[in-house]
Amino acid sequence: MSVPGIARGPLRAAYDVVIIGAGIQGLALAWELARRGMRDICVLEASYPGAGASGRNGELIRSAFASREWATLFDLSLRKWHGLAAELDESTLFTPAGYLVIASTEAQLDLCRRSADRHRELGIKTALVDETAVHRLVPALAARFAVGGVYQPDGGFAHHDATVWAYVRAAARLGVEVHAGTTVTGIRLEGGRIAGVETTQGPVSTRMVVDAAGGRAREVAALAGVVVPTTTQRLEALVTESVRPFLRPGVALLDLLGYCHQTTRGEFVGGTERHGIVPPDSMRTTLAGLRDAAAKFTRAFPLLRGIRVIRQWAGIVDVSPDLAPILGPAPGVGGLWLDCGWVYGFMGAPGAAVLLAEAMTTDRVPEALAPFAMARFGLGRPIVEESLVVDSAMAAGASA
Amino acid sequence: MKRILCLCHDVTDIDIARAVRLGYDHPETVKRFTGALMGPCQGRTCGELVLDAIARESGADRASLRLPTSRPPAFAVPMGILAAPDPDA
Repeated sequence: MSVPGIARGPLRAAYDVVIIGAGIQGLALAWELARRGMRDICVLEASYPGAGASGRNGELIRSAFASREWATLFDLSLRKWHGLAAELDESTLFTPAGYLVIASTEAQLDLCRRSADRHRELGIKTALVDETAVHRLVPALAARFAVGGVYQPDGGFAHHDATVWAYVRAAARLGVEVHAGTTVTGIRLEGGRIAGVETTQGPVSTRMVVDAAGGRAREVAALAGVVVPTTTQRLEALVTESVRPFLRPGVALLDLLGYCHQTTRGEFVGGTERHGIVPPDSMRTTLAGLRDAAAKFTRAFPLLRGIRVIRQWAGIVDVSPDLAPILGPAPGVGGLWLDCGWVYGFMGAPGAAVLLAEAMTTDRVPEALAPFAMARFGLGRPIVEESLVVDSAMAAGASA
Repeated sequence: MKRILCLCHDVTDIDIARAVRLGYDHPETVKRFTGALMGPCQGRTCGELVLDAIARESGADRASLRLPTSRPPAFAVPMGILAAPDPDA
């Protein structure tokens, strides 16, 4: 299970930091730590880099969220995305084609209005757009589908696999070892502190472990006796055959709980959620999910009726009760860091990695990172973010 | 002389050899890097030919190479048909 840049030699007996999970979170963090001068960094991956949600997500990128916490984190990330290919000296296929949230009802338009006000306060460049402007940005949209929306011109999408591979190679050049096919089976503690990890390739000593295990993050934290309040849930997506360009920006359809874009190769890629359903953690797709997506996307884009779906797949996310990521030191275990609970993980990874690397190398938690600490749940201070295109049942499932 | 293995995305034996030499040496990563197995036929036409090429170039035991999990639908289906109301609902 290989990509260029992964370690070919055996696992060493000790590292300064062991990151569990070679998805975009773990890889981005490894690279950020290495460029800050940290040495002896190891990333352990049970499968191959990007095998989980990092290679299964919808690839969309925006920072136009409605809460200060989300908007601040994701705008840092968006700024990173714009320079990432140059920083990594690798292609990410980042396409700043814009990101449009489409409202179909007055209530949804109100939400867009509140979001746009918040963006102005935070210095994030978006525009509240009317029906005519929406249809100008997305001419393929069904007539009278939109009443308006909020548009972020410098949002867009990137290619998930290209980005994962870019981080692997760039990290490897800085000495990071990414070991694929290596499962962590235990976390060793001494006096309440991290002492090492047990793996299928033998034991490793380390004083610092990062849980960046995506859909498996809760299980990994449990190895250290830490209870992360997440539930594992499935998201489904579909892709069509390649067709000529008809959709320029990334799009979120609030009315349909849907999100989609057209790739640079011409495929239409998207996913929808269903109201009131807490998806299970199975990686199998469902006919009901496929029908739901097809019904909704053909309603929004009538031309899709004649375009063939070639593949449907699923990925799993381990979501937190407020659907925001859990970032920072793990409570109760010295040397354990959490980088988990993600639903919008692909777009958020480059920014979160900067903040976590700063915290890990300076022992000072940056202001933008602090709200995402796991302690928020115990303190009854969840992050309230209204502009997520997932059903609230997912959050209800996570807090149940 | 190059040979086209994947008719959907025009992936040739030379493309597969290059992918393997670069380090994409497993069917899952060859698929993602070259686009082979990802077109409208979903590997039904090219799958075995691509595995042959990977084995030839990487020296892997051909019998050990498996195609990536096949995903629904079994054949490409126009979205308008999938969007029709469920007759059983």
